[in-house]
Amino acid sequence: MRVAVGDDAVILREGLARLLQEAGFEVVGVAADADELLELVDRSEPDVAIVDIRMPPTHTDEGLRAAKAIREAHPAVGILVLSQHVHARYAIELLSSGTDGVGYLLKERVADLDELSASVRRVGQGGSVLDPAVVSQLVGRRRQADNPLEHLTDREREVLALMAEGRSNKAIAERLFVSEHTVEKHIKNIFGTLRLPHSPDDHRRVLAVVTYLDSE
Amino acid sequence: MRAKLFLLVLAAIAAGAGATWLAANANAGRPTEPGPYLTSLVGAALIASGLASWRARPDSRLGLVMVATGFLWFAGLMSEATDGVLYTLGVAVEYAFVAGFIYIILTFPSGRLRGTLDRWLMLAAIAALGLQVAAMLFGSGSGLRCSGDCGHNLIQVFGDNGFALTLLNLQRLIAAALTLTALVLLVIRWLRASRPERREVTWVLLAGTATLIALTVTVVDDLIGGPLNSAPAKIWFATLALVPIAIVATFVRRRLARGSVAGLVVQLGAQNEPADLRAALSRALGDPSLELAYWFPAEARYVTGDGRPVDVPGADSNRRSTFVERDGTPIAMLLHDPALEYNEGLVQSVCAAAGLALENERLQAELRARLVELNASRGRLVEATDAERRRIERNLHDGTQQRLVSIAMSLGLLESKLAPEESGAAPIVREARTALTLALEELRELTQGIHPTLLVERGLPVAIEELCRRAGLPAHLKVDLDTRLPDQVETAAYYFASEAVTNAVKHSHGSEIRVEVSYDGHMLTVNIADDGIGGATVGPGSGLRGLADRVEALGGQFTVSSPPGRGTRLVAQIPCA
Repeated sequence: MRVAVGDDAVILREGLARLLQEAGFEVVGVAADADELLELVDRSEPDVAIVDIRMPPTHTDEGLRAAKAIREAHPAVGILVLSQHVHARYAIELLSSGTDGVGYLLKERVADLDELSASVRRVGQGGSVLDPAVVSQLVGRRRQADNPLEHLTDREREVLALMAEGRSNKAIAERLFVSEHTVEKHIKNIFGTLRLPHSPDDHRRVLAVVTYLDSE
Repeated sequence: MRAKLFLLVLAAIAAGAGATWLAANANAGRPTEPGPYLTSLVGAALIASGLASWRARPDSRLGLVMVATGFLWFAGLMSEATDGVLYTLGVAVEYAFVAGFIYIILTFPSGRLRGTLDRWLMLAAIAALGLQVAAMLFGSGSGLRCSGDCGHNLIQVFGDNGFALTLLNLQRLIAAALTLTALVLLVIRWLRASRPERREVTWVLLAGTATLIALTVTVVDDLIGGPLNSAPAKIWFATLALVPIAIVATFVRRRLARGSVAGLVVQLGAQNEPADLRAALSRALGDPSLELAYWFPAEARYVTGDGRPVDVPGADSNRRSTFVERDGTPIAMLLHDPALEYNEGLVQSVCAAAGLALENERLQAELRARLVELNASRGRLVEATDAERRRIERNLHDGTQQRLVSIAMSLGLLESKLAPEESGAAPIVREARTALTLALEELRELTQGIHPTLLVERGLPVAIEELCRRAGLPAHLKVDLDTRLPDQVETAAYYFASEAVTNAVKHSHGSEIRVEVSYDGHMLTVNIADDGIGGATVGPGSGLRGLADRVEALGGQFTVSSPPGRGTRLVAQIPCA
């Protein structure tokens, strides 16, 4: 799988490139800002572009804007945005531009090589990735006592969070040490309780779940 | 001075007596003869009021010019004499007084010519006088429009009465043009004058205008052959007496104006409202444009009653300043119309009468100025704090956070490279990575608390929305704001909301929070209410006190309503247009 990296800090983009190579990815190039990254993507059409959210010149949300630009010019290229902050808002903005092949991760997740390569692969294959910290903020948000979410069991809530992170049924089953069948049962219950239209597609349900969590 | 004055008066009496005698015994028949009464009236009025004016303002040229004009007037009467020398001299200076009159009318009350046009008018007047002398070179006594028993013209060189008449007609044309121009100039000046200026000049201007009109009629009548005979000239001479009378009347009016100071003293004693001080002084001085400024010793400058700084007007300004001092220390500055300079006595009496009231006002103004300064410095402090917070957040992000992430990466890399036989090291590396993740999490919380990046990047509604999302109680948000506001307003509102929400979660024991943000184009209102136990106070050292400072530094208002058992409502209102 071919990957492009955009980050303005040298130690981070070089470190990330090394990590990715170590994990068996082909790094097609690194870029120090959004424009460079767009050029790089134009030139080498990678499977995934990893981009730091905060880059020159304003050091605010350039990465997010670069992600949108790449999305428009190269819909097939997956985008993984790295951030040092847990901003559910940015994650939702990113997801609402299409959940296929997008991800929002905290920067320090790159330290776990297995998790990193799993996330990059998922994005590269058109799936979506949402950082557990963002999801737990959405799920853990305090709500009124009569909210449907309060009727979920702890296990169901765990499944809901893993769904929001973008994981497949199989991954959820592995993570919780249960059978896929059990996971499917949980998911059916969750969708029923929250009155969400059932969607068997692992990818598409992420937005439904996240939107639901954000709006309640 | 006294002796000089005495001599001048003696000379005036002598000249007046001579001129009056000549006027009474004139036997030359000319169209412009004043007669004995007008002769003495005009001359005496000019010299007397000139002396009065000179005494009142010795630095002004006006009094001198008036006295000189009076003497010239008398000298002109020598043209009635039969003696050759007197006659020649008299005819030569016969109309010289007209130049003096024009000077007086144009320059009253300052005695200074005001512009190029003024100077050209004076030059034209002097040229017209020169033509009189030139005509004398050509015409005999009778050729100079003198019929009857004229004196002998001693400086006649050529015998050409026709040319002499032409020169005299030219002189009259110039005189007519000159007076008409001066008339227009005076009317324009009057229209442009301020109220105090008008009060100074109106009487003199009316008399001067009458004189100029009468002069124009006389000259034109003379030019076309004098069908009205000497009637216009008689009227003109009568109006001439009006100008000095108007000048004396103006002096009397200035003195009488000082009577208003007595009224002012009574008024200042009776009133308690300091805001009326300006109105009272303005009435006493007759200057509606009057402004007051007070000495602010801390910054060694003058400030308005509300404490805003005021500059002392420069020499080229169209305002004048009068400084009020007590025992050598400045108290106040009166900014007034330049025309008040002519009645310095009035201004000084008013300042003396209002000294105590001004000193009181000054103390209040100083207090207000200190408040203005205090507010500004509070604003600067908040601004400096925000800038510092931004800088710290940026440094943490670009420095510490990145280094920690890079260490985490290295650990990840190390973990992947560990050979299976070194399996004992793996848990240690994992432990280090976990600790690092926690450290990064703490750092993240810290930097967000220091400076909320989302606020800067996405604005107040989004930042408060995120705040509510993270709140430890269900939070209902209602936002009515679709525009970005100035940084310091957004920041103050955000910190206010953040602290208020934290307080509600920690102390209210309530079950939910309502957050409302609204903006009506002038005022941003943030309203945070919980349904808890109430009883919150804003004491010194509490987080709420700091927030109140922040809001108040922006000229905003902060209110707490927290009746026991009925929840707490915190409202911040920050003005911003």
